Order: sequence, then structure tokens, then C-alpha cells
Amino acid sequence: MAQVIVVTSGKGGVGKTTSSAAFATGLAQAGKKTVVIDFDVGLRNLDLIMGVERRVVFDIVNVITGEAKLNQALIRDKRVDTLSILPASQTRDKDALTKEGVANIIEELSKDFDYILCDSPAGIEKGALLALYFADQAIVVTNPEVSSVRDSDRILGVLQSKSKRAEEKRDPVKEHLIVTRYAPNRVEKGEMLKLEDIREILAIPLLGVIPESESVLKASNTGNPVILDDGSTAGQAYKDAVARFLGEDRPHRFIDPEKRGFLSRLFGGRAA
Amino acid sequence: MPAPAASPRLEPFRLRGANFNLLVLRLLDPRIEVIVPAIADQFRRAPGFLRFAPLVIGLDDLQAAPQDIDFAGLAAELRRIEITPIGTVGGTPELRAAAQGAGLPPLRAAGGKDEEVPMAPPPAATAPAGPPPAPPLPPGTARPTMVIDHPVRAGQRIWAQGADLIINSTVNPGAEVIADGNLHVYGNLRGRAIAGGADNTEARVFALNFDPELVSIAGYYAVREGLTDAPIGKTVQVRLIGENMRFDRLG
Ligand SMILES: Nc1ncnc2c1ncn2[C@@H]1O[C@H](COP(=O)(O)OP(=O)(O)OP(=O)(O)O)[C@@H](O)[C@H]1O
Ligand SMILES: [Mg+2]
Repeated sequence: MAQVIVVTSGKGGVGKTTSSAAFATGLAQAGKKTVVIDFDVGLRNLDLIMGVERRVVFDIVNVITGEAKLNQALIRDKRVDTLSILPASQTRDKDALTKEGVANIIEELSKDFDYILCDSPAGIEKGALLALYFADQAIVVTNPEVSSVRDSDRILGVLQSKSKRAEEKRDPVKEHLIVTRYAPNRVEKGEMLKLEDIREILAIPLLGVIPESESVLKASNTGNPVILDDGSTAGQAYKDAVARFLGEDRPHRFIDPEKRGFLSRLFGGRAA
Repeated sequence: MPAPAASPRLEPFRLRGANFNLLVLRLLDPRIEVIVPAIADQFRRAPGFLRFAPLVIGLDDLQAAPQDIDFAGLAAELRRIEITPIGTVGGTPELRAAAQGAGLPPLRAAGGKDEEVPMAPPPAATAPAGPPPAPPLPPGTARPTMVIDHPVRAGQRIWAQGADLIINSTVNPGAEVIADGNLHVYGNLRGRAIAGGADNTEARVFALNFDPELVSIAGYYAVREGLTDAPIGKTVQVRLIGENMRFDRLG
């Protein structure tokens, strides 16, 4: 039976899609059969970040309306062969997704995959509710700022009350925290929330801290999930997070301000 | 005609001005059959806090003619859902007059420059407004208790109806916990804390780490901005002494 994982946040633009792409790729690299679904109907961009936008023929809405078969819409990744992508529709709105339609897709995918990742749209409205409804686990993505933490707190409450597991009174959705765009130097200056403060409020296990890094933008522009960039601190942090998710014990990195060494002072270097 | 009776020994009353904090219910629709169910729905979700709360009806947003609004009916319906309208604010003179005819006199917002000011504003005597205190529960009355063992998160509201409420975890900013009886938070209290919801002025709030957005007992309330003298971040008990909220450190 596949595990369904929702990547969610409440607030928009915090790094859900970036994290979904990195996580899906990382799990697939670890040999897990993984599919990542873009639930952001109307604003799809997972396919861009995964670099498959030119191979999209059918999307999740076509599958739900019966215009295409699921395996016609699934796109096999060319870099990691255990990875597939189910794109969202660009032209339809969120109402095109129905609970029954998504249930059928998830059931069918469950037969072939170990992990089904759901990249949620922002908000706590219909699209986000649908993305989290079938989840067994949730990766909550938060930025070190008050409004993002508040929205993540809200979404955790929603997971407790509106997920299928909650409705059926089964074991609750397993929650994981990813703090992204963490800039230790700015935290030290008091411009961003401290990691401890975020953890104290949200009170769920920390899967990883992804540093603010220019390589993320570069990665999304070239359609290569940042986890494939070994030289990137963000990529390394995502690798650690995936390893932790799979049960490995790894210390957290990139959470303290970097001591500027002789070389970086000399060249004015920045974190890659 | 007999002359008026001579003054009694003690003056029978004194007239004083005072400022009150009141909720204003701004009407956006003139139809009672639309307004009342919507309010009832809203208030059902936050019952204790607002029950019997005195409320001013705001007329500024109404686009209706006075004859189109049944103020007497509105007042009666509001009282039926345990809301006490005491007057109006804003609106056209015609609307105000129509409301006054139904027993809802126009009020003057403090600091506002409405016409027809009957007396000069008195020196600020800020008393938090609240419903009239109800008699305390008879001693020894056992009250059921609701216990919550997980964090109460932003957007969540927990209401212990007719019961005490024990939160064995944190109440986060943006969360709301309501007890008709006493409220205990054995964690960080960072959200809205409402005790004595059903006019129980004897109710208390206890918090291990007191840092709320709002605290209310039996309709008397203080928002965070007004809590400058309270022991924030400490273990605290809150109770009503008369009409004042008192914050004591515990332990
Ligand atoms: N660790 C990081 N360092 C620098 N920039 C980042 C990082 N993570 C994400 N970003 C940038 O933040 C922006 C938003 O990222 P992303 O699209 O993943 O967010 P999202 O939560 O999916 O947004 P939406 O709510 O719109 O779906 C992008 O421009 C991305 O490049
Ligand atoms: Mg996204």
C-alpha cells in the first residue's frame, strides 16, 4: 500500500512546490517508486520545476473527466526512472477536481507506487483541502516568519479535523516540519524567527531546515530539482531531510550563521 | 397643586458620564429575516462570550428608507437570541428617529463629533462593558470538565459547554478556548481565553505561561494591548474582583 504524503503550508510562496520536487526526486533516488501530483489546478508549475513542461499531454483533470487514462497522463522522469509526475491542468479551475475523482486516481496509483506526493496549492480552501484529504503523512512547509508559522499552525488544525483519517477516526496524519528559506544570519539579527520559536509553536517533528539559497532559483529555471545539485546547500539539506524521512539519523546543518572563513572573505563568496 | 416635596435627606440619584467599550453591530442588510439568522449562526459559534452582551446597532452602512426597517421586530428578535441591543450609532436622522421610536436611542461615539451632544464628555472612566453579573453557582455544584490533550492551533475553537475546560497543552496565537466554567491551560496560553462564558463571574482562568491575545471572564474582557500590567510570561490566575480583572502570579 502506498503512503500518501501531502506537502502543504497554508501560506503561498513558501516553497511547497520546490520541496515537493526535491522530496519526490530524493525518494525516487532512494529506489522508492514515487509519483508527485500537482494539485495546483490553474496555476500549475510543478512540471516547470521538474523540467517536464514540454512533455505534458494530459493532466489530472483529463483523467478525472475520463478524457484520458491515468497512465497516459503520467510523465516518467528521464533522470530518475522510479519517478513519475502527474501534472495539473493549466486551463481549468479548482472545481474540476472532485473528491471521488481524486480518490480513484490515488487508489489506482497505490497499486504501483510506494509514495504518492501531493503538492498542495496555497490557502485552506477547496484545492488545499482536497490535496490533504487522502494524506497518511503531511510535510508542512514553513518560512521563518510569523504569518507563515500562523498559517502552518492553521493547516495542522485542518489536518486534524478535515482529513480522511480524521473523519474515519483512524490514526492521525503523521506530521513533519520543513523550515525553508532559513537565513541564519538574518535570524541572528532578529529579522527572522528563530528555529526554536517555530518548533515551539508548531510542536511537530522537524524533518529539515532548508537554507535560503540562490541555487533554488537557478534549479527551478533550468527544471532540475535542487536536490540534484550536489554543490547546493539547499540541495544537501533536502538530501538530509529525505534520509531522515526514511529513518536515518542525521544532524541538522545550515542552522547556525556561517563563520566567514579566510577564502570567502577574500572572494566575498556566498552560499551556493 | 401641592408644592414638590422637600429634598429628602439623601439625594436619590446622581448623574455621571462614563465611557463604555461596546460592540457595534453594523447592519449591512435591512431585512430582519436575513440579519437575525446570520447573527444567530455567528453567535452560536462564540456563545458564552457574547451572551447578553449589550450591543449598539450601527446604521452607517444601511441604504434603506426608515419605513423599510422594522426596528422593534429586530430588537425583539435579537433579545430572543440573547443579545441586548441598547441603541444605535450613525445613520441618517430619519433612520435614527425610526429606531428611537422602537426604543433604541441614538448613542454618541466617544471621541466622535456627532451633533446633538447632550453633555460634555466626562473625564475618561474606562470600564469594560459587560453583562450584568449573574449569581454565582451554588457552592459544591459539580461541573463536568472537558480535557484537551493536544495543542489548540490557529483557527481552532474549543468550547466546553456548561463545563470547565482543561487544556493540557498549548493554545497558539489565533486559537480560541472557551469554558462556561473555569479555564486551565497547562502550557503556553497565546490565543484567546474566555471563561465564565455563561455569565459566571466566579469563573477563573489559570495559565502556566500567560501570554494571551485576549482574556475574558463573564463578558468582561481585556485585549493584549491592555494587559501591560499583567504578569506576562508567568504562571497566572485571572479572576474578576467586582468589575475589574485581577491577575495574580501563582506558585
Ligand atoms: N530555499 C530557498 N532559497 C531561495 N529561494 C527559495 C527557496 N525555496 C523556495 N524558494 C523560492 O520561493 C519561491 C516560491 O517557491 P515555491 O513555488 O516552491 O513555493 P510554493 O509554496 O509552491 O508557492 P505556491 O503557494 O504559489 O504554490 C520560488 O521563487 C522559489 O524559487
Ligand atoms: Mg506551488
